Amino acid sequence: MTPEDPTERELDQLLARRPRTAAPAELRRRMEALASETRPATPRRLGRWLAPLASACAAGLLVWVVVRPPGDTAGARVDLVEEAVNDHLRVVESSHPVEIESGGIHQVKPWFTGRLDFAPRVEFSGDAEFPLVGGSVGYFRDRKAAVFLFRHRLHSITLLVFPADRLPWRSHGLRSLGPLAVDEQRSRGFNALLWREGELGYALVSDVNLADLERLAPRLNHP
Amino acid sequence: MPDRGRLAREALQHLDALYDHGRYLTRNAVEAEDLVQETYARVLGAAATFGGGNLKAWLFRIQRNAFIDQRRRSRPMAPSFDPAALDTLDGAPAPAGEDQLAQLRRMTGADIEAALFSLSDEARAIVLLDLEGFTETEVADILGCALGTVKSRLSRARAALREKLKDYAR
Repeated sequence: MTPEDPTERELDQLLARRPRTAAPAELRRRMEALASETRPATPRRLGRWLAPLASACAAGLLVWVVVRPPGDTAGARVDLVEEAVNDHLRVVESSHPVEIESGGIHQVKPWFTGRLDFAPRVEFSGDAEFPLVGGSVGYFRDRKAAVFLFRHRLHSITLLVFPADRLPWRSHGLRSLGPLAVDEQRSRGFNALLWREGELGYALVSDVNLADLERLAPRLNHP
Repeated sequence: MPDRGRLAREALQHLDALYDHGRYLTRNAVEAEDLVQETYARVLGAAATFGGGNLKAWLFRIQRNAFIDQRRRSRPMAPSFDPAALDTLDGAPAPAGEDQLAQLRRMTGADIEAALFSLSDEARAIVLLDLEGFTETEVADILGCALGTVKSRLSRARAALREKLKDYAR
């Protein structure tokens, strides 16, 4: 719009002074991590002399992939923990942390139908020690996540359930908690437990003691 | 097919604009972050459908759709985002006099932000898209309505904003 009326021009000049807020550094870092995970598209046509070179590069890449899976780096795993902690903070800071309040897990889980492209597997309905507050839909990196909110005394515990594929899961130094092999991490004062069960990934995050989270994690699917 | 990695990197150049717009839409920094993250996730998922043209306008259209979905999820009983609501606004008021212009010039950034927040979601969105530098054709594409509709709604939204600003300038 190019206003010719002086009043309109005045309004434009005034609105140009509106406060503008740059994206927080943490959000920028997360989005840059997302962008860096995307793979360039394969060129549709290669020059005849480029084809052998491309084949050699592909073979080298294959060796590298076998030796060291893409994304399986300490930095990438730290990103996974940071993402889980950030998601927990977004949940607890949100003005509406749950979209469906709990009447038990059998009320919360069906609510996700049609809102997610996977079925979150959680069997624990909450109890007096870890009451289930409710659920909502969130994001874990580039994918949707089922978000469950539990309480423990005055603390909030966030459980994120999401498709586990294409994420840099740790394969060594895991702690056995019943049937689970859990990656235990600590970041910014929060404890985070991450593990896989089948095709799904789980992240349990809170400022409660690690021992409390360790008691809750195995009960989620094996109450 | 567009290069997904390149598209993702180019989309990052508009991160600040998307976050700022998201903050004005949601009125909440935390929700704005969620909205931007959801927008980028959708952008990566739909990269193959980007047919070229104005990437920024495409990003804002995706953000608008994500915002509508976010509102539906969080406030299922609240009225939906309805640009047609702008059609019920009164027409443009009389032009401002010199006294009013002087008052407007003295307004602070906080006053301007408060006036923008006092607008309806629909009016605020169309005013901000205009301020973002989009042409009316691009705004029509982002909002999914006709060009003529954008012209009339933008005029009404700016008229409503002038009225709000006069209140804050008093």
